Amino acid sequence: MKRRSILTGAAALPLFSIVGRHSALGSDPIKIGLLEDISGDLAMMGLPKLHGSQLAVEEINGKGGVLGREIVLMHLDPQGDNARYQEFARRLLQRDKVDLLIGGITSASREAIRPIVDRSSVLYFYTNQYEGGVCDASMVSVGAVPEQQLSTLIPWMVERFGKRVYTVAADYNFGHLSAEWGRTILKPLNGEIVGEEFIPLGVSQFAQTIQNIQNAKPDWLYMLNVGAAQDSFFEQAAAAGLNLPMGSPIKIMLGFEHKRFPPPALNNMHAAANWFEELDTPAAVDFKKRWHAKFPNEPYINDMGYNAYVALYMFRMLAEGAKSIKRDEMRKVIDEGGACIDAPEGRICIDPKSQHTSHHMRLISVDAQHHVHIDKDFGVIQPYWLGQVGCDLTKRNDKEQYSPDHLPKAM
Amino acid sequence: MFADLFAYFYQFADVFAFLVLSAAGLAVIFGMMGIINMAHGEFIMCGAYATTFAYHAGLPLPLAQACGVVAAGLIGIVLEATLIRPLYSRPLDSLLVTWGLGLIATQGTLIVLGSSMAGIGTPGGGFRLGGYGFSIYRMILFAAALCVLAFIYLLFKRTRFGIYARATMQNANMAQALGVRRNRIYALTFGIGAALAGLCGALYAPTMTLIPTMGATFIVEAFVTVVVGGANVLLGTAPAAVALAVTRTTLNGLYGQVFGQIGLLLAVVLIIRVLPEGFSGWLAKRAS
Amino acid sequence: MLHLLNGPQTLGNGRGFWISAGFVLAAALIYPAFADPYDVGNFAYFLIWVFMALGLCLMWGYGGMLSFGQTFFFGIGGYAYGVFSVDLGNAYGMALGDFAMAVLLAGLAAAILGYLMIYGRIGGVFFGIVTLSVTLALAFFLGQTAGPEWAIGEARLNGFNGMQGMSPLSIPWFGGGIDLEETALYYFVLILLVCTYLALRVLVNSRVGNVLVAVREDPQRTELLGYDVRRFQFGAFVLGSMLAAVSGVLYTSWGQFITPSSIGLPAAAMPIVWVAFSGRSDLTAVLVGTFVLLAVFQTLTIYSEQAALILMGLILVVTVMVAPQGCFVGLSRIANRLPKRNRTLRVPSAEPG
Repeated sequence: MKRRSILTGAAALPLFSIVGRHSALGSDPIKIGLLEDISGDLAMMGLPKLHGSQLAVEEINGKGGVLGREIVLMHLDPQGDNARYQEFARRLLQRDKVDLLIGGITSASREAIRPIVDRSSVLYFYTNQYEGGVCDASMVSVGAVPEQQLSTLIPWMVERFGKRVYTVAADYNFGHLSAEWGRTILKPLNGEIVGEEFIPLGVSQFAQTIQNIQNAKPDWLYMLNVGAAQDSFFEQAAAAGLNLPMGSPIKIMLGFEHKRFPPPALNNMHAAANWFEELDTPAAVDFKKRWHAKFPNEPYINDMGYNAYVALYMFRMLAEGAKSIKRDEMRKVIDEGGACIDAPEGRICIDPKSQHTSHHMRLISVDAQHHVHIDKDFGVIQPYWLGQVGCDLTKRNDKEQYSPDHLPKAM
Repeated sequence: MFADLFAYFYQFADVFAFLVLSAAGLAVIFGMMGIINMAHGEFIMCGAYATTFAYHAGLPLPLAQACGVVAAGLIGIVLEATLIRPLYSRPLDSLLVTWGLGLIATQGTLIVLGSSMAGIGTPGGGFRLGGYGFSIYRMILFAAALCVLAFIYLLFKRTRFGIYARATMQNANMAQALGVRRNRIYALTFGIGAALAGLCGALYAPTMTLIPTMGATFIVEAFVTVVVGGANVLLGTAPAAVALAVTRTTLNGLYGQVFGQIGLLLAVVLIIRVLPEGFSGWLAKRAS
Repeated sequence: MLHLLNGPQTLGNGRGFWISAGFVLAAALIYPAFADPYDVGNFAYFLIWVFMALGLCLMWGYGGMLSFGQTFFFGIGGYAYGVFSVDLGNAYGMALGDFAMAVLLAGLAAAILGYLMIYGRIGGVFFGIVTLSVTLALAFFLGQTAGPEWAIGEARLNGFNGMQGMSPLSIPWFGGGIDLEETALYYFVLILLVCTYLALRVLVNSRVGNVLVAVREDPQRTELLGYDVRRFQFGAFVLGSMLAAVSGVLYTSWGQFITPSSIGLPAAAMPIVWVAFSGRSDLTAVLVGTFVLLAVFQTLTIYSEQAALILMGLILVVTVMVAPQGCFVGLSRIANRLPKRNRTLRVPSAEPG
């Protein structure tokens, strides 16, 4: 039942009950602020994220907590509203004085709370895969970024299906930046963008887009559509008999469209993922067993939920390495370059220059029966782009989001 | 050439069907009864969810869709009797109540049924014409939109119930004095509006992502179409839908969906500026 | 002038009302001395939105124009403040200049839109839909400005992710400006709000207000009495919209951030919910009601997680069922044991001309 989440969220009552139970641990619990949308449009993604954090907290407390202290989650639900993100980030940081902040789904929500975090002395974990580029010493990014997802996926798609690409993107920052990445990666491959279309958020009807695609006759589709309404594309494209190969950095492992739509709507979809529920390494199987034991009704463990789980283990690693939960102390551990943990996907590390995370990337695809196959194992890929263009958080804190057309100014 | 023409028509039909089907329920509840129904999207969601449930329970799709229509209609009748009826004398307050109901409905659905639901899959397959592929189901939606327009027109113009209903909406006390059971008329009219919203959800359920907030994608188009249609929804909705669909289809085709969306909204402003009474006001003036 | 603070168009005219209002104000003024700085900042944040609600109260409650466009002007104010702040800076009191220019720009937009609508004889639901349409069009437009080409000077609009990098409001002071944050912001907003509220009271009790209410009740009759109805509606619309822009500037300065979602749905419906909930026919009710509703909604969201939206919905439904004139107009009626006045009788016999 979803009610479970209500228990751990509300601030005061569960806090006391947990303290009572784990009296063996240090007296003063470490407070972790969590902002995840479990109401509104984004609840589908926010709920697994909340669950991932809850599972990790339970496990870590079972293993003795962090620095011998118990950790408690203080979760608030911003309901997908950026203003609520601002209100609640302030509340958690200034009133509840949390020791760590985690959360945010859309890039807009991350940008809403980043100025507030920057003025505090708390470290912030953003646990989504996103368009990349945030160079901010207060933030650790746990999710995969374009150089990990796109510079693996796109060359593979070109090699397998051809050079003519049609981009269908959500008309907002993620869509525009990922489309830009696509163009950049395709150029040296002699790839050709035969069409590019941006769709306003919330649009659910795609007859025109489907027709434009049929006109352009691409070899494959580069899908950057976002949100539940835009996911209707797959159903409508299948009904019109479009049947083209598709590649995307956000489908399958994030939105589990292959579970939500009846086959064959997602047939021939490809993605590069650091986590997907079908991963069956021993560590992954063990992790899935623990998750489903705690949340038996979870429709799918998506990569966001997985990243949220991993984030808390990263925090533990940083805190124990630094013997402190202060941001500056923990950042020293990152600076030294040994900030690594053994996650269910494999061993991953935080890059000192950008404070983004390396990931073990795999290329996955969905067949006509909506079974997921692993087509290629890329191994561990570093988040190199920010460091390459000049972001170096070990030297200076830019507090900026960069993109291929907005690069750091030369020093 | 023919294929291109047909492709344009197909695009137009698609947008037209979307506008008409999403507006139909609102045309009755808002256009005729004057209730600003902010929960319109939630009636649509209800129709879609009920349809999907019935389908997964083993009913064939058309029967499942009928279930969706009936479910939304029944809920509409119950709500009318309990919450909406006291508000006929103060229509603006219906905005608050229905907005509150909408919140309760979406969030209740989220808590009870979860954040998403497995879909149905679009039936009917497709056909090809000159390099384009078309979905047969989208043509069914267009036909359904035409049927809905005809149904509303005939129901309110040609049946005894329709005449009673229009009389009640115009002057409830007078109608009652003449022997019309006005409470029953109100309940039925509201129920029909809710059922039409449910029909929209039922018809679009196989083509869309099912989440509790799915109704939100319909609501702007619905209000805009009804209002541009003008006070007499029986007369205005169809021309409004045609005008807006042509605008949007053309802009979609030329400049992409973003400008289609913005253009649709600006077209609304323009149309109302030129025809302050909406299409029906203008048509009525020309007729007289 | 001051005698117009009391009059037929406002509730709460007696000595008792002013004495208790004085106490509330005094309590509000000394509140930061006792409260946690976070709570003071949060308090100020609620007050930020009240301007927008008062503006809607003026045009809808008094003037009878239901505008869905408050967030349109909120957005223009907020984005304009951001652009001015980034491009012109905020030194030497320039921030207040940015503030004023942003509000005036929104006023200009309101004048254009208002002229098109009011002088085009657009009324009733058409008014609501036109304002909603331009609001959503602006939200969609700003949503697609992600690219670097969408910049005004140094200020990038930055699409859906929102505009950033503006500095907070500051007032010039000896030896550098005072940034308006937390307690300073609280006092600034509080004083601005008190002035706005009193000025609006004077306005609605003056001849303008009386005519406005007459227009709401019966535009034709008012016109036959010799008033240019459209001029009064136009004025109320522009003024109310500029108040929305004040909220927009304050919000942007508060969080140094604004996104298109502050403009589009469901944000656009919120001012209407606040005003309708409070009781749209009275300024005091809207002032108190909006504040209370914002605080209640936030508290619910903090403590009841997923149930919050359901409880909010229930509050709205119950309010309408129990208090037909709105929560706070209803409460004040009970408190004053006023006989229910027919609203049409609240138009005093104003002398034309």
